Amino acid sequence: MKRYRCLWLIVIFHFASSDFIRAETTLEKVDKNGALIIGTRTGSPPFAYVNKNNDWVGFSIDLVEKAIVPVISKKLNKQIKLEKKESAPQTRIPLLTSNAVDLIAETMTDTQSRRDSVDFSLTFFATGAQFLVKKGAQIKGIQTIAGKRIAAQQGSTNAKIIRERVPSAKLIEFPDQPAAFQALAQGQVQAYTNDGIQLAGLRAKAPKPDEWVVVGEFFSYEPYGMAMRKNDSDFRQVVNVGLMDAIASGLYFEIYDKWFGPKGEVPYPLSPETKRFLQMQVVPK
Amino acid sequence: MNYQFHWNVLWTGQTGGWLLQGLLTTLHLSILGWLLAVMLGITSGALRTTAISLLRWPAGVYVEFFRNVPLLVWMFFWYFGVPPLLPQGLQEWLFEHGVEFWAGVFALGVYHGARFSEVIRAGIQSIPKTQFEAALSTGLTVLQAYRMIIVPIALRLIVPPATNETLNLLKNSSVALTIGVAELTFQTRQIETYTAKAFEALAAGTIIYLVLCLTIARLMARVERRVAIPGLIARGNTDTA
Repeated sequence: MKRYRCLWLIVIFHFASSDFIRAETTLEKVDKNGALIIGTRTGSPPFAYVNKNNDWVGFSIDLVEKAIVPVISKKLNKQIKLEKKESAPQTRIPLLTSNAVDLIAETMTDTQSRRDSVDFSLTFFATGAQFLVKKGAQIKGIQTIAGKRIAAQQGSTNAKIIRERVPSAKLIEFPDQPAAFQALAQGQVQAYTNDGIQLAGLRAKAPKPDEWVVVGEFFSYEPYGMAMRKNDSDFRQVVNVGLMDAIASGLYFEIYDKWFGPKGEVPYPLSPETKRFLQMQVVPK
Repeated sequence: MNYQFHWNVLWTGQTGGWLLQGLLTTLHLSILGWLLAVMLGITSGALRTTAISLLRWPAGVYVEFFRNVPLLVWMFFWYFGVPPLLPQGLQEWLFEHGVEFWAGVFALGVYHGARFSEVIRAGIQSIPKTQFEAALSTGLTVLQAYRMIIVPIALRLIVPPATNETLNLLKNSSVALTIGVAELTFQTRQIETYTAKAFEALAAGTIIYLVLCLTIARLMARVERRVAIPGLIARGNTDTA
């Protein structure tokens, strides 16, 4: 349980560190280290995961590498490297605030309460929660889960919504996607809820994809953003410019196609509304 | 570090209730796990000291097998590994009745049982052999000698290391969150999810574990003094921890 030990260390470090040292800005830190450190996932295909060749890849990682790192490099006048560390829903905010990572680039939903603790980039992907079930299961959506055993990911917004909207559902929360899927495959739970796109990714990676279906209408709105330390608007500006340039130049859609296109890891066509929404976020130069 | 502390997230809204729920689950899980661990520990610890090798070696296998595999693996074993071996109807019944909690109890109990076993074996082996022979010479059978003389004395001797094991068990109960048991650590993470205040939630968890552990240590010290046999184990009377 090395991860917990890390967390406690972070806590201790936090109490030991004092505020009278002027906090260095993220750009200064990146400049000094020559590297941008991102926190990302290892088991959330196709956003961030370790693939068959043992490479740590994904859509979110590609966006940082191809859209954001070049902008930072240009701004600092030197080539910046990209370093990756593992983050999870419970560790990502502490990782940021303790300076262990500079940017969270994975599948983090931008929410108002999270904005109290961290700042977000513009939305780089939008999805909603659905259910993954065995083909032919009775569960068809959030209206049909009363009294059913539902797996969710610990620390996710989906679990929160189910607890509020269908209190009679038996919610069992797992720390990561593989454990939740295992429980679904063995019948400990009857459905697994997560963001639709992640379920599609999980299904595509399953040993027998045809045995599983993603069902139900979106019962939540999950806009993904990249999180960074609060009150560092220079860095936030660089990240946003990277994303906006990528959307405006079409680079974003190339990367999208690589992961979600017909030949991508998880075919998931970009709806015209989402495309329009992404383009509307781009402000003029 | 630009982080704003908001300690009030710990008692506003539902968070207080969650912490309490988590605390109760942790206690429930730990107490049941402890009972199982102590039962298994006493049995296998005593068996490991007998002269009959047919009794000694199964206990040895149990101890070595269970204490040398990480607890996390046992959690997965009882939760993912065992149910598929059961008949379909029983499986479904278990899934409907909180199988994750019982898997957690078994994982904790069986794993810590192996560790308790070693503590108890050490206790029994620290009793002079003559005591056992004296017991036999009064006409007690081997089983009676163990039940009425050896094990009761050994249990008094091992209170300090058993306290240690108990504290370990309590803290290890947090591993059950990996199979979805909503215990204390789980609830501190839940608070983090709802409020995005990780440090406050972790601090609350830390303090609760600390208070629990100190209470147990106190309780065990009191038990140690209470059950001490005057003149037999002198330490019990002078220890004021």
